[in-house]
Amino acid sequence: MDFLNSILIKPFADMFGAPDFLMQVLWEGLVSGVLYALIALGFVLIYKSSRIFNFAQGIMVVFAALTLVGLHEKGVPAWLALPLTLGVMYLLAMSIERVVLRPLVNQPDIILFMATIGITLFLIGFGEIIFGGENKVMITEQLGIPTGSWEFEPFGGFLSIEQRDVTAVVGAVLLVAALLLFLNKSKMGRAIRALGDDHQAALSVGISLSTIWVVVWFIAGVIALATGIVWGSRAGVSFALEVIAYKALPVLMLGGLESVLGAIVGGLAIGILEKLFEIYWGQPILGGNTETWFAFVLALIVLLFRPQGLFGERIIERV
Amino acid sequence: MKRLAKTALLASGLALAAAFAAPAFAQDAINLPNLSYRTGPFAATGIPLMNGQRDYIAMLNARDGGVNGVTINYEECETGYNTEKGVECYEKTKAGAAVTQPWSTGITLQVLPKSNVDKIAVLAPGYGFSPMADGKTFKWAFNPPSSYWDGASMILQNISQGNLDSLKGKKIALLHLDHPYGKEPIPLLEALAAKHGFTFLPIPVGLKEMQNQSAQWLQIRREKPDFVLMWGWGAMNAGAITEAVKTKYPMNQFIGIWWSSLDGDLKLVGDAGKGYRAVSWSVPNSASKAMQDIKKHVVDAGKSMINQAEGEFDWVFYQRGVLISMMSVEAIKAAQAKFNVKVPNAEQVRWGLENLDINEAKLAELGMEGMIVPFKTSCADHTGHGGAWMLEWDGKQFVKASDLIKPDRAAIEPLEIEKAKEYATANAPWPLNDECK
Amino acid sequence: MLYRTAGQFKTTYEADHALFPVRQDAILLGIILVVAWVVLPLTANEFAFKALLVPVLIYTLAALGLNILTGYAGQLSLGTGAFMGVGAYACYKIITIFPEVNLLVAIAMSGFFSAAVGVAFGVPSLRIKGFYLAIATLAAQFFLVWLFEKWAWLYNYSASGAIQVPTIEMFGVVVAGPNAKAITQYYFVLAVVTVVTMLAINITRGRIGRIWKSVRDMDIAAELVGINLMKAKLSAFFVSSYIVGIAGALFVFLWRGAAEPNLFDIPLSFRVLFIVIIGGLGSILGNYLGAMLIVALPVVLSYLPGALGIPVSSSMVEHLNTMVVGALIIFFLIVEPHGLARFWAVLREKLIIWPFPH
Repeated sequence: MDFLNSILIKPFADMFGAPDFLMQVLWEGLVSGVLYALIALGFVLIYKSSRIFNFAQGIMVVFAALTLVGLHEKGVPAWLALPLTLGVMYLLAMSIERVVLRPLVNQPDIILFMATIGITLFLIGFGEIIFGGENKVMITEQLGIPTGSWEFEPFGGFLSIEQRDVTAVVGAVLLVAALLLFLNKSKMGRAIRALGDDHQAALSVGISLSTIWVVVWFIAGVIALATGIVWGSRAGVSFALEVIAYKALPVLMLGGLESVLGAIVGGLAIGILEKLFEIYWGQPILGGNTETWFAFVLALIVLLFRPQGLFGERIIERV
Repeated sequence: MKRLAKTALLASGLALAAAFAAPAFAQDAINLPNLSYRTGPFAATGIPLMNGQRDYIAMLNARDGGVNGVTINYEECETGYNTEKGVECYEKTKAGAAVTQPWSTGITLQVLPKSNVDKIAVLAPGYGFSPMADGKTFKWAFNPPSSYWDGASMILQNISQGNLDSLKGKKIALLHLDHPYGKEPIPLLEALAAKHGFTFLPIPVGLKEMQNQSAQWLQIRREKPDFVLMWGWGAMNAGAITEAVKTKYPMNQFIGIWWSSLDGDLKLVGDAGKGYRAVSWSVPNSASKAMQDIKKHVVDAGKSMINQAEGEFDWVFYQRGVLISMMSVEAIKAAQAKFNVKVPNAEQVRWGLENLDINEAKLAELGMEGMIVPFKTSCADHTGHGGAWMLEWDGKQFVKASDLIKPDRAAIEPLEIEKAKEYATANAPWPLNDECK
Repeated sequence: MLYRTAGQFKTTYEADHALFPVRQDAILLGIILVVAWVVLPLTANEFAFKALLVPVLIYTLAALGLNILTGYAGQLSLGTGAFMGVGAYACYKIITIFPEVNLLVAIAMSGFFSAAVGVAFGVPSLRIKGFYLAIATLAAQFFLVWLFEKWAWLYNYSASGAIQVPTIEMFGVVVAGPNAKAITQYYFVLAVVTVVTMLAINITRGRIGRIWKSVRDMDIAAELVGINLMKAKLSAFFVSSYIVGIAGALFVFLWRGAAEPNLFDIPLSFRVLFIVIIGGLGSILGNYLGAMLIVALPVVLSYLPGALGIPVSSSMVEHLNTMVVGALIIFFLIVEPHGLARFWAVLREKLIIWPFPH
């Protein structure tokens, strides 16, 4: 009885007993959710256009952030470092397309997946040689991101909202909007979607595979840079950031591998739910740290009912 | 293409032969291997320590031509804080090693049983396994000058002004890495909590959560502990300190162990971290003679790997690395004197470690006054329990903020002996050192 | 010339279905076995045993387990590391609860625990496919590692949360623990790996193996010809996790000597998956070749600068090593996506018809 009480009643009593705290939990969850969504978006874009499950998205986040900070350390002003970093990401996209993807066209999915892990390892070694392994400070203020916080007192409690988190959320929304506009309105965007729908048909009407791939990987690089700035401003930039790539995987499962909307909804849902679970169930009952697996188990359960994720394309099997 | 392939084949054949053949060592130098980590998620904390260790040896070689005329061959083997690599490195470097430094608690746990067989002393200054202090059980392991349990005890003494009973009814949280290292102080803190009537709350941080600790800090906000102790490492320190600033947790109630006192982590928050304290058995003193010699012979000679722009030379961790090398060199010196040899073997260096006497006079002679707590090891006591000071972050650097604190040995010792015995039975047959009384 | 098959006539169906229809294959295998059982133990030093030979064998075994699941039955799994952990912890519990149990028996039994866990996490494979399944197995990976961390009973409530291998004797010889000789451990592992490999060759050649392959190639088609998909997939999970579990027990007991939970975290899973992919999906030989490349090469490479007399710091070597391994993975995927085993197959074909080009 006590046990049932502790899992069914007490958590909700806690939630409504301290609504200001609940709001803080929800806000924290939302912010991490936005970040998960951003990383997942990088995955989705690449998967949609090339059927590559790009594991290297995580290291691209680190790489982009380190390039930005590294350039700034070398004395490049922030306003110049940002476009230069974008240039580096473009070069990276181009070399990945040229060296890795082009020779691997038409290989089975798992081979391409492995190749992206190869890219990950390569970039880890390469990045550590160039930038060193120290934890670096993200140039938050130089980029004009506010660092203060707003404090509210809802229900007589205390709610603190970091301005940089608000900036992150707003920035992410703008980025997603721009991306959707690009995908739906521009010629290139339509070509990307066409490639995602039917590879061969798209090729036969003259859409250039290699150009599209460079563009898509570059966009993934831009998203990586955005993620890197936001995440790096919270806890510094180092190779430990790479593990956030794992956080995007359950989001993809939940939302579906091909769906931009799925990545966003899935990211937000997982961000909020895992935080709620950790605070109200994980820490009191299970000894904490449930965030490592909760999202995966949640996604697994959802998949049992919808094998293609919430927003994924229906899997049609033909014999 | 063909030639390239041939060259590659030849090269790998050569390397394979090198790997298979027993490594040859010059007999006129002392080998000091170090299972370092300058890569991976813990690199940020590893690099300054390794630089300090390296530069002290380089300084001795440049200034005095080594120790008593014998050059020291300092050799790093990169582990990335990964236990698998660590054991590989241990196997690779153990031949001809004077002493081995495993660096991570995980690697220490793996190397510990092997050191008995290979007869190489394990030097784990300020880390490893706290019961290693019991020299009767752990003949080959040393963790001077203070163990983690000493550290936990000293923090509690400091926050309770020496009277642990005054903590009655208070709540003390331990924010720790979910890894053997972070779990080290838990048994002692649990025992003390039961004895002195305070509530003890361990808050684990997973290896994947190091940079995203919002859940942990939400818990801290909910539980409102009176003090938060931190056993953090690598990227976790920076994550915790930024979250603490964000949650507005009072910095003067937030205290770290010595490995959570990396200047680089605190620089992330700057002034907002003012008041954060860490217990430490070493204090940086860039003006000391030893440090000035390093500056002259190594740093200014361009032989150091430190990041001068960041001011790494003045960091707590860099200078702690120097002190760690000092310990192994002093052990070698003691062995040289006792056995009257130029190149002592691992067994003789072990004797040296067991008879380390780092006192004020010795430190003055080395030009390291006040940089490390004085301590003395013995056959039964492999730690020395020299105590520690509190360091406080003043917004720019760590400054000494207390007198010497001594651990409450009466409370720790029974637990040490019990856990050492437990370890020996679990790993039976475990050789005990019967020479100690 | 060396591999000329001309003149080897088969007069019965049994002879044609034999394990080695070509005589030279059997001879080659004989040579390899002699090298593994006699020549290497005579020549290798302790470091070679501990850093090269034993890990290569253990990783081969783990890869063999995964290859049965991924290469033969077509179910992608990223949870290998955790299943190895289940085997290791089960073996640890068996050894500490019943110290009198023979280590070999304990290892064989611990495989059943990981097999059971593997089947439990394999159930979703009936509904989920491809990358979705791969991510679903990550749920097993993360959940189990978390469990190893939190369930103190598993590591006998030791303060550090790590497990330590005690000294274990078998028939009067110390086989595990700090006092074990490297060569004893090598023979122990080699024996287990040899036996399991033989079993695996026979399983994959036989009826079950064929069922798995048909499920891999197209599961709906397999279902239509009357194959029970549930049985096929779950049996693949069972056999695979069993072998992986044994590999995990060997990993800790015969090689590492101690383990903490995060040892079994995702990098281990990826490492084993690399071996399988680089070695060749659906090939037994590939596991050996892949393990040599992925496990032994980095160790050997780290000697290279020293052997050539190039002064590089150890961290630089490590960085270069990571880069080289990453580049090699990409290189091999581009050159031969079917893995190293296919290299050997192509070479063998060439040798058979040599000196003629066709």
